[in-house]
Amino acid sequence: VSDHQAGADGARREPTRTPVPLPTTASWSDPHFQPAAQHPEFVERLIALLFVAGLGSFCAFGAAYWQNWAPWALGLCFGAGLFLVGTGITAWGKYLMPRGPFVEERHVLQSATEDVDAFTNALVERGGTPMKRRKVLGGLLGAGMGVFSITALFPLLRSLGPLPGNTLATTDWKPGTYLVDQMGKRISIYAYAVGSYVTVFPEGWQDKDRGQAVDQTMLVHLQADGPIEGMPAGRSTWTPSGYVAYSKICTHAGCPVGLYERELELLICPCHQSMFKLAEGAIPIFGPAPRPLPQLPLAVDEDGYLFAQAGYNQPVGPGYWERP
Amino acid sequence: VGAAVLGVTVVLGLLSFSGVAGAAAHKGTPPKVAKHVIPPSHPPYLQFNSGTADSSQRLFGKNGQLLSYGNKWVTYYLPQMLVTGDWCKAKSAKSCTPDLLISLGHQLYQQNCEACHGVHANGVSSQINGYVAYPSLLGLGPATYDFWIESGRMPAASTPLTQPMRRPARLDHLQALALSAYLTNLPGSSATPYIPKVANLAGANLSDGAALFAMNCAACHTITGDGDALAYSTFAPSLRDIPATQVAEALRTGPANMPVFSGNLTDGQLRDVVAYVTEKIQHPQNPGGLGLGGIGPVAEGFVGLALGVGLLALVGFWIGDRS
Repeated sequence: VSDHQAGADGARREPTRTPVPLPTTASWSDPHFQPAAQHPEFVERLIALLFVAGLGSFCAFGAAYWQNWAPWALGLCFGAGLFLVGTGITAWGKYLMPRGPFVEERHVLQSATEDVDAFTNALVERGGTPMKRRKVLGGLLGAGMGVFSITALFPLLRSLGPLPGNTLATTDWKPGTYLVDQMGKRISIYAYAVGSYVTVFPEGWQDKDRGQAVDQTMLVHLQADGPIEGMPAGRSTWTPSGYVAYSKICTHAGCPVGLYERELELLICPCHQSMFKLAEGAIPIFGPAPRPLPQLPLAVDEDGYLFAQAGYNQPVGPGYWERP
Repeated sequence: VGAAVLGVTVVLGLLSFSGVAGAAAHKGTPPKVAKHVIPPSHPPYLQFNSGTADSSQRLFGKNGQLLSYGNKWVTYYLPQMLVTGDWCKAKSAKSCTPDLLISLGHQLYQQNCEACHGVHANGVSSQINGYVAYPSLLGLGPATYDFWIESGRMPAASTPLTQPMRRPARLDHLQALALSAYLTNLPGSSATPYIPKVANLAGANLSDGAALFAMNCAACHTITGDGDALAYSTFAPSLRDIPATQVAEALRTGPANMPVFSGNLTDGQLRDVVAYVTEKIQHPQNPGGLGLGGIGPVAEGFVGLALGVGLLALVGFWIGDRS
């Protein structure tokens, strides 16, 4: 570049070497172009064949989807379509497009006016021969990709599974459901020391997937007896003998809120460190959790076993669109 | 295509919305609620052999004092029961009584504990960071005293601002037993749990212990037992290098913020957990050769990125160089 910089006298020097312009009239015999393109019509037909086959594969994929064919047939059609169209696009770029190497001498950044004119002329004229529009190939490619786009919408229509209904809003805790531990053993208020906790489930659900997923509840023996100070109004009968029960599913992202800090009387979520005050209706005092943990109203039967007065006071888990 | 996607989404949203309206009405007859709950005289549902004095083997002294209780898995002893004969022989035969141990404990209490916990060991009302800074020591049970002293957390050199940390023990084993005996013997202070000694750790069911550990301990101490941070500057300490007795004591007493595992953990299960902690957690196998401290996916991901991707980058440069 230094050759072409302004001289010491400040006068602009002309380039010492004039760049060799690209051939203004390119032809298929030009060595700049791919030898395989000596017969462009043949190559064009070959690529068209690939596109047609790809289009057919996508159509076959659509038909296979509606006809509920085997997954391997779906995959085969889909994969073949992508492969054929991709091969066609690659061949198009490789055989029907100008290929280098183009060698040009380096020149000053600003070209001389005549160079610009010559380049413009060359570009305009050169564009005539090798870069012609191919409407058939373009159309076929467009059609193939169009069918592909439509089939990509199919999963939205059927493959997302059944709608959740109101299962997100309800659990298996019903009025009168007994609390049991992991082994199915009922919870006696006399059996657990103050400061201990146990994960409980509704009786009959402790060994079921749904029970372990949405019904899991943290039962904490918070104090020996008496009403718990700080509980929200109307919940004085929910905590017999100092036992409190909250959903174990975090209201932020659904992680198991299993960290019980005894002296601080906190439940902590291990995922994002949300903290819930056990004695105050599990209100969140730190972290991203937006709502208190749902509370399970407890009661004691005549033999001292804990059961649920009712279901949770609100839907468990993180928020969702239609949360009531 | 965009309009189609939007349309389908709206339709799906409407469909799911229509299914949610209205909460489900619960049915079923609730059990009869007790107005005054009185424990039956023979509670069949209480969990025997789970850390309380309701155990199958109990030993009473001449004056009717419960000296030890337990079963074939764990035996819980009064501190006096754990003093070995050697200490007794060093004293004159006449004075070799439990009272001597208690008076030694009284001296140690006056030297080490009284300044903070008070002359009567009933604590000093003072709060630091929401804690009762100098709690009452009455009625906690020998296992609590023994755990705090033998783990070196007490006596503390200064007022712990957050959470006392495990250190080399200030008092030796005998002194810890003497202090425990003294505190247990204070008026109105007799309480369980006694100091647990786990029997035949080799016979424990390690897979049950692993399941119990994953269910009850790993939430705070992490699955590798290395501990983790909790709220308000508290933390779950590492479980490495903790003797079996202290693991059992911590489970049964719930030191500081740890929950109490009593009633929800039988002595058989306690032995399984203690065996899992002392044999597996404290002797981790690292088949990959590099445990990285077992502190979780952040450290492992960092090393994976730095070493793995760095190595791949070097290979990439090398290939690029050759071509």
